[in-house]
Amino acid sequence: MAKSYDAIIIGGGHNALTCAAYLAKAGQRVLVLERRHVVGGATITEEIYPGFKYSACSYVVSLLRPWIVRDLELPKHGYEVIPLEQTFTPFPDGRYLLRDADADSTRRSIAQFSKRDAEVYPLFGNAMSELGRQVKPIIDQPPPDPTSLDPREIFKLAGLGRHIGGHGETWTSAHIKMLTMSAVDFLSEWFESEQLIAPMAVSGIIGTFLGVRSPGTAYVLLHHYMGEIDGSFRSWGLSKGGTGQIANAIARSAQSFGAEIRTEASVERVLIERDCAVGVVLENGEEIRSTRVISGVDPHRTFLGLVGTEHLDSEFATQVTRFKMRGSSGKVNLALDGLPDFKCLPGHGRHLYGDITLAPDIDTLERAYDDAKYGEFSKTPFCDMVIPSLSDPSVAPPGKHVMSIFVQYAPYKLKEGPQDWENQREAFGDAVIDRIAEFAPNIRDLILHRHVLTPWDLEKTYGLTEGNIFHGELSLEQLAFMRPVPGWARYRTPVRDLWMCGSGTHPGGGVMGSPGAMCAKTMLGVK
Amino acid sequence: MSFDAIVVGAGHNGLVTALKLSKSGSKVAVFEAREVAGGLCAKREFHPGYHVPGVWHHSAGFRKKIADELGLAEHGLSFRANEPSILCATDEGKGILLARDATAARSELAALSEHDAKAYVEWRGFLGRITGFVRSVLDSAPPPMDVSSLSSLWQLGKRGLTLRRLGKADMTEFMRIATMCVADWLQESFESEALCEALALPGVQSTFMGPWSPGSAINLLFSECAHDRQVAGGPSALIDSLLAACKERGVEIRTNEAVARIRTANGRISGITTVSGEAVDAPVVATSCDPKRAMLDLLEPGQLPLNVEESLRVVRTRGTTAAVHLALDGPLEFRGREGVEIESARIGSGTVDQLERAFDAVKYRRFSERPALDVRVPTIEDSSLAPKGHHVVSILASFAPHRLDAGEWHDEQRDALGKAVVERLAAAAPSVRDRIVARSVLTPADFESEYHLSGGHLQHGEHALDQLLFMRPAPSCAHYKTPVDGLYLCGSGSHPGGGITGVPGALAAAAIQKIKG
Repeated sequence: MAKSYDAIIIGGGHNALTCAAYLAKAGQRVLVLERRHVVGGATITEEIYPGFKYSACSYVVSLLRPWIVRDLELPKHGYEVIPLEQTFTPFPDGRYLLRDADADSTRRSIAQFSKRDAEVYPLFGNAMSELGRQVKPIIDQPPPDPTSLDPREIFKLAGLGRHIGGHGETWTSAHIKMLTMSAVDFLSEWFESEQLIAPMAVSGIIGTFLGVRSPGTAYVLLHHYMGEIDGSFRSWGLSKGGTGQIANAIARSAQSFGAEIRTEASVERVLIERDCAVGVVLENGEEIRSTRVISGVDPHRTFLGLVGTEHLDSEFATQVTRFKMRGSSGKVNLALDGLPDFKCLPGHGRHLYGDITLAPDIDTLERAYDDAKYGEFSKTPFCDMVIPSLSDPSVAPPGKHVMSIFVQYAPYKLKEGPQDWENQREAFGDAVIDRIAEFAPNIRDLILHRHVLTPWDLEKTYGLTEGNIFHGELSLEQLAFMRPVPGWARYRTPVRDLWMCGSGTHPGGGVMGSPGAMCAKTMLGVK
Repeated sequence: MSFDAIVVGAGHNGLVTALKLSKSGSKVAVFEAREVAGGLCAKREFHPGYHVPGVWHHSAGFRKKIADELGLAEHGLSFRANEPSILCATDEGKGILLARDATAARSELAALSEHDAKAYVEWRGFLGRITGFVRSVLDSAPPPMDVSSLSSLWQLGKRGLTLRRLGKADMTEFMRIATMCVADWLQESFESEALCEALALPGVQSTFMGPWSPGSAINLLFSECAHDRQVAGGPSALIDSLLAACKERGVEIRTNEAVARIRTANGRISGITTVSGEAVDAPVVATSCDPKRAMLDLLEPGQLPLNVEESLRVVRTRGTTAAVHLALDGPLEFRGREGVEIESARIGSGTVDQLERAFDAVKYRRFSERPALDVRVPTIEDSSLAPKGHHVVSILASFAPHRLDAGEWHDEQRDALGKAVVERLAAAAPSVRDRIVARSVLTPADFESEYHLSGGHLQHGEHALDQLLFMRPAPSCAHYKTPVDGLYLCGSGSHPGGGITGVPGALAAAAIQKIKG
């Protein structure tokens, strides 16, 4: 006899777990159903090769909201972040840029390319942090709906407008530029040296199907400046024990509040009776009932897969279909026998402890995007690497290392269709290694194991439609009150008692926790 | 010598400002650097006996309301009754002869796709429903940016209400489209790639965007909503009527008189000095040349607050359009349309991606080998532009950069670009090759040197989301007034932007009158 729950949450990603924890904390009977054998979704640590713990998908943290960390008492459950303070960018001409927490050495490093940029750099950081602070209320509350006729909505919107626009013309203008310009154009208003602009611009393209010169990419830059660790802005970090530890901590917190978590429980469909979600049916036929169903999976999978268009009005179904997924990135995880040696900076200095960015110039980045536009993976890809085992020895055997390589672009839709990734996966992996070898030739000899994740794999293994790591592109028309569908951005859906709590809802992707927490809060507020 | 107001630049917007000011009793002079008035709307004799009625060849955006207000009909201005259909052609077949009127377009489209024929009706229907709202935004001064005062909140609220009057569905759709890329927007509706490519062109023309660039959809939307009736006789006929009206009002038009300096005294405008050294005094100077040229080159240095100067320096004016003018010894005949007079055509390569590839070239400072063409044959309307039986073809080609990777533009590259354009035209109109009497190529670099446009940008600044409305050209001078007392902007660099509309000119004159009045 299946017992009944207040809420069933489909998917065990970090947002679903966060939602579960908040609901359980409020006394609800909650069941989380995860298809795989582990929870975490894309927030996961996997030991694919013995002794080496890969942060297989998501690999850096910073956006996880501090209030969630506090509310769910995550440090108590094993959440620990190791700061990631350097960004190292090698150039083909033998020079390199190293930006780190030490303002003086950063200034000297930038000054070799432009003295003016070196002076401007800290000012830029201050301005961005200020912009980040100003928009923070947006990511920490459900979005007001300008199309609503409810006067309370208008009031909220005006309030938000005044909050953001109330800092004077210069800041309003900065917000508009930030929201609409390309990363390169935006940065070019501040800086003159390409060696600085290119590696900074890549923050704007992570996870999007846009190039550094595409309008709308500057805003994602801000997303990356809004990161907070212990309340300090603009800090990145690695989760101790791999990214999966974040999900595990949230799961343990949820369980401590009484939530039940079942793995290897694949939901086949949402059970709908009289237009109302009443539970789920698992792939093995098991039926579990609940007062509410919450989907932590992406909007396409939720509505076109688990719900089915027959339960949706055609307008809503069209809007969901139009919601763009378009995965654009891949991941290469390496088990290494030693450390890479960069031609421009040999040895094992602090530059290896941070973020290593292969983004030497704007045209190369833009060409990488051009390849993707026409259905090919980038021949000269942008790679963003970290070697977590340097600062967290627990993830690799002594003397060995793991390396996480985020790669762009890998378009889901190849010319011959997404299934062609089965034939191109290794070639893609080779292109990545070749690219790294241009800067650190010894990399080839160090590789003990290589794990290549294409958008096709991200879809197959992690359930991300079209391999989109954010559950839908973070383009302007898919944000705030339009995420995922205009008018349905408050975690509710047109199906009664069916809710959404994943990255496909406001404020979007990244290991942020906000969608999950805000879904739970909205729901609890409704009762 | 002194005037009440001086207008720098005799483009159509400058003339509108001058005329409007003189109508309210001001003594006005217009200074134009070129030999003829009209700027991009001036008639151009590119080969002896062959003329185009303006480089910027679409005149359907010029507002009838402005024409009426200025009494231009009395000076010969009239609008055409019918808008010619546009032939959307590629390398194959006879293309689609696309009427703006969806019902008229039906049979042509149905031959291509029944689905698209229906979708076009819906698409035009949506545009029709929002045109009133879009026009109200385009035709009035931009809303205030500052939200700290109640009066500006009220202003914003009023705009909000107009938007709401569209109804929830259209309002939501408008907000969704506002930041999209034109490729996504069109592909949601249409299945024919060639149709999408042709429809997308105005969304990317003359800007630094391809069809996959976010923000291009709003450009298309604005351009479609601003479209009305063409001026009879084309852009140069508009200039003729403006000049005639100016003459009647006693506006002094001084061509071949480039302004060297916009002068100030005691922190406010005192007049101009021409290149020949003549000083002319006026308490008001309105410039219809682009904002960078006006404020950074012509204005006396040191007059602008540093942050304003910086905000103008970063205005993006990367020219991406070239103009090619052809003299033909017979008609331009399109494949499958022999004997049909085609006045307007868009020639693409058949897919949206091809249009994107054409854009890719300028990112790397090259011109496109397969440019997308916006073609007009003005001699069909006005045969006097060429010798009897002969024709001229006016082409705006996308994309070509202001500066090439290899350096400056030389005749060799100009020639190569001309050949590439003719080749694309010949793909749809094969007989054109044998009919060419003369060919003239204007690159963005030429637009800069001959028409004094910063970056060779036809719209005096890219139409991008951060360079529109109260951001155009920069927040401190988005309402036609500048931080320098007495200095105004009245050209395409101001809201609502480039193209032949007359709106920046009229709104600037209104702003000047308001302050003077």
